[in-house]
Amino acid sequence: METLEYFLPQVWFGILALFLFLYVMLDGFDLGVGILSLTSSTEERRGILMTSLSNIWDANETWLVLMGGGLFGAFPLAYSTILSALYIPIILMVFGFIFRAVAFEFREQATRKFVWNLSFGIGSFMAALGQGFALGAVLKGIQVDEAGHFIGGTWDWLSWQTILVALTLIQGYVLIGSTYLVWKTTDELQTTHYRTAKIAAWTTLIGAIFITISTPIFYESAREKLFQEPLIYIFAIIPIAGVVLIWQLLSSLNRKEERAPFIWTILLFVLTFIGLALVVFPYIIPTRITIYEASADPSSLVIMIIFIGFLIPVMLFYNLYQYIVFRGKITTEHYGEG
Amino acid sequence: MDFVSDTVVLSRMQFALTASIHMLWPTLTTGVGIYLVIIEGLWLKTRNTDYYYHARFWAKLYALNFGVGVATGIPMEFQFGTNWAPFSEATGNFFGSVIGFEASWAFMLEAAFLGIMLFGWERVNPAIHYLSTILVAIGANLSTVWILTANSWMQSPAGGEMVDGKFIVHDYFQAIANPFMAKSVLHMFLATLETSLFVIGGISAWYILKQRHTGFFAKSFKIALAATIAIAPLQIYAGHLSAEQVYHYQPAKLAAMEAQWNTIPAGQSASWSLLALPNNLTEQNDWELAIPNGLGYILELKEKLTEPVLGLKEWEPQDRPRLVGLIYYAFRTMVGIGFLLAGLMAGTVLFWLLGKLSEENITQQRWLMWVWMFAAPLGFVAIDTGWIVRCVGRQPWTLYNQIRTVDSASHIPPSNVLVSLTAFTITYLLLLVAYMYFGSRIIRRGPRFDLLIPGTDPNKPAIKTAPGEFVSDERPVEAQQ
Repeated sequence: METLEYFLPQVWFGILALFLFLYVMLDGFDLGVGILSLTSSTEERRGILMTSLSNIWDANETWLVLMGGGLFGAFPLAYSTILSALYIPIILMVFGFIFRAVAFEFREQATRKFVWNLSFGIGSFMAALGQGFALGAVLKGIQVDEAGHFIGGTWDWLSWQTILVALTLIQGYVLIGSTYLVWKTTDELQTTHYRTAKIAAWTTLIGAIFITISTPIFYESAREKLFQEPLIYIFAIIPIAGVVLIWQLLSSLNRKEERAPFIWTILLFVLTFIGLALVVFPYIIPTRITIYEASADPSSLVIMIIFIGFLIPVMLFYNLYQYIVFRGKITTEHYGEG
Repeated sequence: MDFVSDTVVLSRMQFALTASIHMLWPTLTTGVGIYLVIIEGLWLKTRNTDYYYHARFWAKLYALNFGVGVATGIPMEFQFGTNWAPFSEATGNFFGSVIGFEASWAFMLEAAFLGIMLFGWERVNPAIHYLSTILVAIGANLSTVWILTANSWMQSPAGGEMVDGKFIVHDYFQAIANPFMAKSVLHMFLATLETSLFVIGGISAWYILKQRHTGFFAKSFKIALAATIAIAPLQIYAGHLSAEQVYHYQPAKLAAMEAQWNTIPAGQSASWSLLALPNNLTEQNDWELAIPNGLGYILELKEKLTEPVLGLKEWEPQDRPRLVGLIYYAFRTMVGIGFLLAGLMAGTVLFWLLGKLSEENITQQRWLMWVWMFAAPLGFVAIDTGWIVRCVGRQPWTLYNQIRTVDSASHIPPSNVLVSLTAFTITYLLLLVAYMYFGSRIIRRGPRFDLLIPGTDPNKPAIKTAPGEFVSDERPVEAQQ
């Protein structure tokens, strides 16, 4: 029983990390494309951008809903403390989602598309910004009492570190969005996004360097952890591997490859994610509450493995199937009854 | 204006506002989803192209509806954490898991196959397309099942107990199959279906009135009408079952629904109040119009009650719902609409039997079509008033008799909630306006009859000029592009 009480929260930490990663990767390019749409020069281009997402944005976003539901059920304390502590960034993200989601159908129907173009672009930006602040604040640490209840202030989430994380996350989304568009579009549009991908690769790199350097300097808890054996070796490898991946990414962009840049970017996301997960683990509210303290009853965790965990392969299958059905380049600016 | 400094009241207002406006869209996604399954089935079976164009036309409205439904639904999931943190922490063991089940069982299924249903006509073969339509409908309705399971458990918590302020589950399946669950799921399922059918009927009636594509829309009108023959009376019965379970498990709510302040002992006859002015301060109705013996017949089909009906005064004021008038009138509105829609169904069926709905005659039934048009929004009113009865009547509890609403809200500054509440109010109202504007635009433009029938590619003429060179393409449709 003792081992089970350790094992089950770890399994759920893993499952939630998987959901969050799938979300960041899939909705990452979604939001990135949305932010990039603000720079589109013509209605036609913007139409193609939105068509490239029309059938998948909703499923992509569902991974976050799934992650939210999973967190609620598996770590109720973390769900309630983190969400109420980050009221403003979460609400910002939620409104971003609203503006973005309605833009798809409303823009398609509207004759004057200006409002919905803004709604789509700014909504995507707001959602990414809210997520960046939330991520930054969780990494920085949330003020809680011994029972794990929030005792900090409303604006605790706002600091130069969280601004740095938010900006870097937005760059990362723009990067993966650009490489997705390189894959899915042709001609001039593709050329444009070869360029935006390159710019975003550099800005992401700069942001990542700042975060990597500032984390051990400013966070005592992270410093202790980072310089522990054997983790120090892993944390030494991650930045090196990151630089290698960015170099690979940039050279694939220079060679005008179509699919490789997207794949290198995904690997970059995987690497970052492993790094973050190792910094956070075993905490769920860094650095005060561990996954063991915040977890639901073991029986709940078991039931959830049966009702949610076993469905993961099925969900992955029908997501993948959808991508297969809609494979190929996007050339039309209308979805639905084009 | 005391409420602007009260986080609990503001959070309640925010949840009530977002939930009651959000509810309008999933109602159609679940109900019209089933309709689309029927229509596409008819198309595949009869190969009558009318059904194909019907499937495309209603799917277009469906897509608009779905987008707004997702947009307004996402805040619901996050609000449990942002505004109701203590509740979420205490009930996470069960309530949180169920919210997770909804995402994994329902949302992902719906989201993944919706794309294929809407945009995949040319990309997958008919069987896969039909399967996608079915899976979208199943996904939407599984959502109803899980959300109603979660809410029913709040009404009648089962399968465990509160230990140190947290709900510990002893038996998961008992918690899922809590006393309210089955009847509530049925009542809500029928509500979404009935509302959707009257919306489809009402829109079809508009075209018939305008004499646009009369034959085409007479088809959808009759399909909707035929389905309501079973659904409308069944819903009244399901509503009765729901009221009975309130009578057994939540007598304080029943007392509020009936504005019954004093207990009626067993063996007495009880009148059913038709209209009243409930007064919280004097604990009585200032004025009342009642039907003698009515309540006895409604609850037990007898003139005299065998069990007492408890009055509101049996509970201390802090232990019973406060907004008695709201609950009382919301209940009467819902019930009234239920009977009105069933009556409309019965009357229209009579017309049908008399042959007045045939293609030549249907355009002459102008007032009947007008009634159907005005009946289209009534289902939504019934659903929202029903939820008011259910959730305002549950007060002062979030988890019935276990956790109070005042102890459930997050300890956050009221100013935060006031700002988000204002933003939600403006945004949701704007969305409602934009949705109706674009929805009516799609309706005014009407169905498109120039859409390609799947499998008939205009780029490949059926007969080639030189017969000798013709090689038939026997690969599956997807591979032919």
